[in-house]
Amino acid sequence: MEVIKVDIVVVGGGGAGLRAAIAAHVADPQLKVALVSKVVPMRSHTVAAEGGSAGVIRSDDSLANHFDDTVSGGDWLCDQDAVQYFVEHCTAEMVQLEHWGCPWSRKDDGSINVRFFGGMKVQRTWFAADKTGFHILHTLFQTSLKYPAIQRFDEFFVVDLVVEDGRVRGVLAIEIATGARFLLESKAVILCTGGAGRVYRQNTNAGIVTGDGMGMAYRHGVALRDMEFVQYHPTALAGSGILITEGCRGEGGILTNKHGYRYLQDYGLGPLDPWPRPKAMELGPRDRLSQAFWHEEQKGNTIGSPHGHVVHLDLRHLGAKKIHERLPLITEVAKTFAGINPVTHPIPVRPAAHYTMGGIASNRHTETSLAGLYVAGECSSVGIHGANRLGSNSLAEIVVFGKVAGERAAAYVRDVPEAGSRTIRQQAEAAEQRVLELMGGDRGERIATLRNEMGDSMEAGIGIFRSASGMQATCDKLAQLRERYHAGIRLDDHSLSFNTEWLTAIELGSMLEVAEAVAHSALQRKESRGAHVRLDDYQTRDDENFLKHSLATRNGDDPPHIGYAPVAITTSPPKTRSYGGAGQQVVLT
Amino acid sequence: MPIDTTTRTIEIECLRYDPQTDTEPHFSSYQVPFSDDMSVLEGLQYIKDQLDGSLTFRWSCRMAICGSCGQEVNGVPVLSCHTFLRDYFPHKLRIEPLNNFPIIRDLVIDQNDFLDKLESVKPYLVTKLEKPLAAGPHLQTPQQLNRYYAYSQCINCLLCYAACPQYGLNSDFTGPAALALLHRYNADSRDQGWQVRAEVINADAGVWGCTLVGYCSEVCPKAVDPAHAINQNKVNSAMDFFGVLKLMNKGGTE
Amino acid sequence: MSRYRSTAKTAARTYMQPMAGWWTKNPYFVRYMVREGSALLLTAYALVLLVGLWRLSQGAAAFDAWRAALASPLSVVFHAVGLVMVVYHSYTWFDVMPKTAPDQPIDPKLITGGGIAAAVAVSVLILAALLWGAP
Repeated sequence: MEVIKVDIVVVGGGGAGLRAAIAAHVADPQLKVALVSKVVPMRSHTVAAEGGSAGVIRSDDSLANHFDDTVSGGDWLCDQDAVQYFVEHCTAEMVQLEHWGCPWSRKDDGSINVRFFGGMKVQRTWFAADKTGFHILHTLFQTSLKYPAIQRFDEFFVVDLVVEDGRVRGVLAIEIATGARFLLESKAVILCTGGAGRVYRQNTNAGIVTGDGMGMAYRHGVALRDMEFVQYHPTALAGSGILITEGCRGEGGILTNKHGYRYLQDYGLGPLDPWPRPKAMELGPRDRLSQAFWHEEQKGNTIGSPHGHVVHLDLRHLGAKKIHERLPLITEVAKTFAGINPVTHPIPVRPAAHYTMGGIASNRHTETSLAGLYVAGECSSVGIHGANRLGSNSLAEIVVFGKVAGERAAAYVRDVPEAGSRTIRQQAEAAEQRVLELMGGDRGERIATLRNEMGDSMEAGIGIFRSASGMQATCDKLAQLRERYHAGIRLDDHSLSFNTEWLTAIELGSMLEVAEAVAHSALQRKESRGAHVRLDDYQTRDDENFLKHSLATRNGDDPPHIGYAPVAITTSPPKTRSYGGAGQQVVLT
Repeated sequence: MPIDTTTRTIEIECLRYDPQTDTEPHFSSYQVPFSDDMSVLEGLQYIKDQLDGSLTFRWSCRMAICGSCGQEVNGVPVLSCHTFLRDYFPHKLRIEPLNNFPIIRDLVIDQNDFLDKLESVKPYLVTKLEKPLAAGPHLQTPQQLNRYYAYSQCINCLLCYAACPQYGLNSDFTGPAALALLHRYNADSRDQGWQVRAEVINADAGVWGCTLVGYCSEVCPKAVDPAHAINQNKVNSAMDFFGVLKLMNKGGTE
Repeated sequence: MSRYRSTAKTAARTYMQPMAGWWTKNPYFVRYMVREGSALLLTAYALVLLVGLWRLSQGAAAFDAWRAALASPLSVVFHAVGLVMVVYHSYTWFDVMPKTAPDQPIDPKLITGGGIAAAVAVSVLILAALLWGAP
């Protein structure tokens, strides 16, 4: 085992990790910062975000608007102190990205243009055509090359945290190319490892989004918070789950069923006119739109396709010029993967699992219950998304809280004493032993078998609509899958060189644990709120009993323990969450 | 246009190389059932999940934006997620790792050389004075944006390097993607770093390492046109040599 | 950021595929090699003309002998092949021209097409002048 000593290890090279690494370095250039990522940073899943990132910039908008949209969008499960900090810092981070070269789309006079997203009172989404995540990620990665003091460990797979005396002391990582194990000793670790969308079969996520960081923190006793809130994006391609951005609707796209009828007006998002108007019809929030699809499917109003039922996302009325200028990626994706030209045909779409609203519990300073462990981005639950994330808040989140995590960690390591490296090393060796044993597995089931059964079960039980019996069935299934996983899985590949089958086996271990946290948190939440909607006896929001965060903690080989913690409410007491209704028509810029 | 999901079977032949056991590569062949909407990547995933878990390749986003899954299919560099099995049937596919790079394992190449080259072109805004955040965003008109926008679309998938025989013959050549990104920043109205990047451009391994084969631009999945970025900079480099750029005050930072 | 350069003892032993015969493996590269090779014939033709000029300086008899040599079957074949190569080279020259021009809002096909059209027009003019204008 190689041992390398640094001050801060950032795990994950997506937007949050890069922002955290830069912030930590700028805060104290003397620090040794290591950025460790299982893919080269520009391959991270931030790259696939499309529509845009929130930041108040228009004169008719305000921080209070952004705050209200976020808190009501999250069905009042947001920590309002965190939301307040967030909305106050979004715009500065968008400007920072601009100063670093991000090619934001502009108005004719050269100023920043913003577009509508669902659930927004005023246009607030900064965008770079429909490749916003791609441009943010490449801007951050390329800018990070300005700081050679930050050391990058490309294609190093982090398998475990090392903890001593209640403080995190580093990570154990595998150099993928050689299979060599590295102990990266550090005083602080920042996890920026992304979500866990891959626990579902049909999802919009890249193959790498496997909840590794969540699994690691969870195994070390850190709670996973609000995991039952999994966002279904209403518009993804059937089968592959490839994302068709909400920006399509922000630019004026409409959703129709098999009769050509704009069905959203039947589900609390109407009336149709005047249109377009904010927070109504296609500009409603994601949870409501996905739920409306489900109802339409039940009524038989959706359209059959080889990969499940779909509705039509119609952009034709926008015209070729606007479609090509604002939605070039969508045009290409629809042509390549669905055989559809959106200029002449509507795009067939259906909901798919998209985003993990919950994550590793942290306060608004990105600190977790484990000293020295910081979290940012989708892997974290800093408290801003509540029960349903507002579109375009996640790209803003990675930079706003990535920066906080970097700065906080840099301040923290100043006062941390050196650790006694012997026990740390022993721990790392034990972790090493565990993963090496996994590679040796030569009998048992195939990884794909377990993974597919998990994905199908999550979709069946913890989907858009949930019931006690369905959730219980998924919980049982996951417990059984975990047993089968531990009974042994069969690997064909026993080589140390770039053994991706081995890594997939490790990822599956994390996914199974995270999936259990999701399923049990869902089963225990006996109400309907945001993206967690039940069809059984708990169809309404219950603020009396459930205006609180769920906390899933690991409980040995038993199912997770589900506890609860209060929600920080500062200025906005819970109200009825309403969309549609009367409103002013707006001009889409 | 409804997608035909009838299943047929196609033969996929993959280059295999494990440095622990092999001294040189060989090929393995697989029979893969497929429907019309299956990409080459999905074919490889089928093999890995069902037939042979040791077949090794990179992939991630499966929507042609992360740049992980570049491979040679029948000798042509492509993104495997963006290429479909139906277009090869009834013939077989021969999948190899990208040309011109060292092979680490099976279809996985060593991309470190590119990463170092990317770093060498200073791919970030270079400005004389740092603009404070409070000053807000720069103004940049859509016309100014368009001057560099196409070059900012590079996903670093390295197909262009696999398509470049000059890079294959001499790996010192900075190469298509890195030079295109260099030009992306030079052409940005917010950037003043022409001179700090001039050394890379003017070097033998810079734009002059290109003989305008042009295949890089043909295979680019994002229409970046690196050949254009490089060759218009031959003009710039020549003008720089004769001091014309200084006269035109295009040098930027002094 | 700088990349960590591994010191792992099991450092990867990579395999590099050989370049030998690279240009025969892809029709695009074959066309490229023909394009570059056609420049050799252009050079050879220029040398033939230079020899003619040199012979002219030596007097009428020498020049006539040079002209007679041009009429030999070998020379005719050389010129025929040369013509094909020069035409191909001109085509490729205009074909890559948009890549060497600064960024412009013009469709690259227009640049290539315009260049080829101009070359054809000039060739026709010269040919016409030779056919009708020559004594």
